[in-house]
Amino acid sequence: MEKARLYETTFIVNASLDDTQVDSVIGRVQDVIVKNGGTANALNKWGRKRLAYSINKKTNGFYVNIEFTAPAPLLASLERAFQLDEMILRFLTIQLDQKAIAARAKAQAAAAAPPAADPAPVQPREPLFKEPAADKKS
Amino acid sequence: MITTRKPRRDKESQMPRKKRTCRFCDAKEVYIDYKDDKRLSRFVTEQGKIIPKRITGTCAKHQRQLVKAIKRARHLAMLPFVSDSIR
Repeated sequence: MEKARLYETTFIVNASLDDTQVDSVIGRVQDVIVKNGGTANALNKWGRKRLAYSINKKTNGFYVNIEFTAPAPLLASLERAFQLDEMILRFLTIQLDQKAIAARAKAQAAAAAPPAADPAPVQPREPLFKEPAADKKS
Repeated sequence: MITTRKPRRDKESQMPRKKRTCRFCDAKEVYIDYKDDKRLSRFVTEQGKIIPKRITGTCAKHQRQLVKAIKRARHLAMLPFVSDSIR
């Protein structure tokens, strides 16, 4: 059994499709991941965006990002599925390394922290010197 | 004898030049994400070329990461290879 690694794939779906058709394209991709022994951890739809340059004479695309853990051979079949699907304009699969995971955790912490960050209550300070008068009485 | 290094001076104003620091090091950044296209676009010229580190002051380590991120973003059409105005 190969070691399962954490990957992230981003792909661009033809934006001229309806939302339901886009969902079915995403479903097909998820099927490929699950059937080949992977598990999808997160699905992010960035939605329709303008492309910086035209791909297959299209100027807009629907961006989807899926994070998944999978054994390495899955990537070959995933790549093949992407290439066969005519509704997918572009794709990029990368392995998430420790640095990427750390950076994301930091970003999430930063996003979550500010509302909770209250200034710490000021502790009353101990007097540095005891007054000599108090000593004489005791 | 103790020699102290003089700060480099700007040719025109003769004021000591401000030392540039890598802004990713300043922010203690460990990873530059290709998804953050707004941020990456600041390290690209109007034509779409990657700005060299001698101009932006980015350190070598972060410049390597940055270049990788920009190239990934270009592949996904988030950044242009060549900007529209040139084409």
